[in-house]
Amino acid sequence: MSELVAIFFGMALVNNMVLVKFLGLCPFFGVSKNLSSAFSMGVAVLLVMLVASAVTWPLFHILLVPSGVEFMRTVIFILVIASLVQIIEMAIKRTNLTLYNALGIYLPLITTNCAVLGITFINIDNEYSFLGSIAAALGAGAGFTLVLVIMSGIRERLDLADTPKVFRGAPIAFIIAGLLGLAFLAFGGMVG
Amino acid sequence: MSSFVKNLTNGIVRSNPTFILLLGLCPTLAVSTSLDNAVGMTGAVLFVLLTANVIVSLLRRWIPNRVRIPTFIVIIATLVTIVDLALQGFAWSLSQSLGMYIPLIVVNCIILGRAEAFASRNNVRQSVADAIGMSIGFGVAILLISLVRQLLGTGSLEVFSIRLFSVPGLADNPASIFLLPMGAFFVIGILLALFRWMGVSECE
Amino acid sequence: MARKRSAAYPIVFLTLVVLFSVVALTLVNEVTEERIAANKREAIKQMLAALFPEMADFTQDEESGLYSLFDASAVVTDEETGETSVLSGSLPIGYAFMTDGRGYGGKIGILVGLEVDRAVRGIRIISHQETPGLGAKITQLSFLDQFAGLSTGELAIRRDGGAVDAITGATISSRAVAEGVVQGIVDMTAALEAVGEEGP
Repeated sequence: MSELVAIFFGMALVNNMVLVKFLGLCPFFGVSKNLSSAFSMGVAVLLVMLVASAVTWPLFHILLVPSGVEFMRTVIFILVIASLVQIIEMAIKRTNLTLYNALGIYLPLITTNCAVLGITFINIDNEYSFLGSIAAALGAGAGFTLVLVIMSGIRERLDLADTPKVFRGAPIAFIIAGLLGLAFLAFGGMVG
Repeated sequence: MSSFVKNLTNGIVRSNPTFILLLGLCPTLAVSTSLDNAVGMTGAVLFVLLTANVIVSLLRRWIPNRVRIPTFIVIIATLVTIVDLALQGFAWSLSQSLGMYIPLIVVNCIILGRAEAFASRNNVRQSVADAIGMSIGFGVAILLISLVRQLLGTGSLEVFSIRLFSVPGLADNPASIFLLPMGAFFVIGILLALFRWMGVSECE
Repeated sequence: MARKRSAAYPIVFLTLVVLFSVVALTLVNEVTEERIAANKREAIKQMLAALFPEMADFTQDEESGLYSLFDASAVVTDEETGETSVLSGSLPIGYAFMTDGRGYGGKIGILVGLEVDRAVRGIRIISHQETPGLGAKITQLSFLDQFAGLSTGELAIRRDGGAVDAITGATISSRAVAEGVVQGIVDMTAALEAVGEEGP
């Protein structure tokens, strides 16, 4: 159990997807301009990461490895993710329209989110157990959402501030991401 | 001929994928810690983008609209896996240092974006021009960022184990923050601001 | 563009594309498989050679992952292919294995080299996620060389009653390495006993 908690916090904070592993940057800069859309995107990503990990891990270990076709990993995983996103989108649309209106538009974007494909690779490369992969996916998604929410909060404030013209928009967002990354270094030692 | 050149140069300055379109940032920032990595990554992207653009362009009249995106994805994923295996076989240390960012090229918005926006609607010649242009644009961007990060982060510039030059004081006490993730963010933030200040790109 | 194609066409098309992909990749895999395996082996060999310069080749026990190392006297080189192989029945000059430590930032991959009498030959850090400038100093030889020649009882940092000086400001990382080495030796003891008796 403590191993799982360690993986969760490790993925969420110490090796944060966005700030340390550079995964999920496109939505990070595109969506993080206001808090509610940032939160919705984060939750959507968490959901997809969870399902994707739950499906790709068994697929890899029970199907690909015994057949000796590990090299098909990239093709299979991305196809799985693309399909999952479609299915999840349809499922949400049919069961909960309010949820769909909140999350739905972000879902197609998630297919090309490197963080989702990234976590499926990380689960394999770090040799996690099935439960470990789930913990990792939860952690990665939580960390992603956390950073997105913090970033959007900061950017909302920044809109009101007097940023130098050349820095407005993307440049200052990157610099803030860097500063956030510095701050997150403080989490080292939590997991040890 | 002129539209070939136009499509080519489009990717380098006007619609530079990294600095203007802000696409494919994940690998750019992640591996830009050394010039070797930058060169390797650019080579990989060039191969995948060029081949994908050509294949998609050749098949464009046959690809059914409904399965358009999955088709692009399978084509790109296959090419990426080929690059991955080739690197592991023939350039082991480069493949270790680029790590999972090579397979992640499959979700690099640059490549999927160009297949969707350009190659599926244009003939092969133009698609080739577009691919080469975008790759050069990407290459220039990642090389520039790697140059800054490697120089400030280690105090010297090295390409494929050939030391180009060292900055005397810096080599002993490099600003290693630039090798860390946050350094990448700072470098690209400042470069973007610099380009705006120089008038190369538009402010928001 | 009008298409007089059946509704199944998209699915057929996609299936064809996937089939092409599988064929292409299987081909590429055939071509590169051996080279990749050779590269991986060479990478491990270089790591082992860092601890055992006199090593000429090694074997690995499939179950435990324990490496048995051999010097030139036990190794035969195939004239044509240049490949080396170990003569069966040879006695190893040492052993090595990979183990993990629970560090500050995550898993620390450690390579431990042992003499035939089970004393520690030395250790090397394979991978880590420690803080640069602090915990990352565990890769420095000045820290790692301390482990050479230590007996199991001494394999801990001074604060824990051992003989290893921890890195200033990186107690957790240092402790993780020491504990990882000890645990690794404990885990490997059964495998060591088995190999020592049978040979490669």
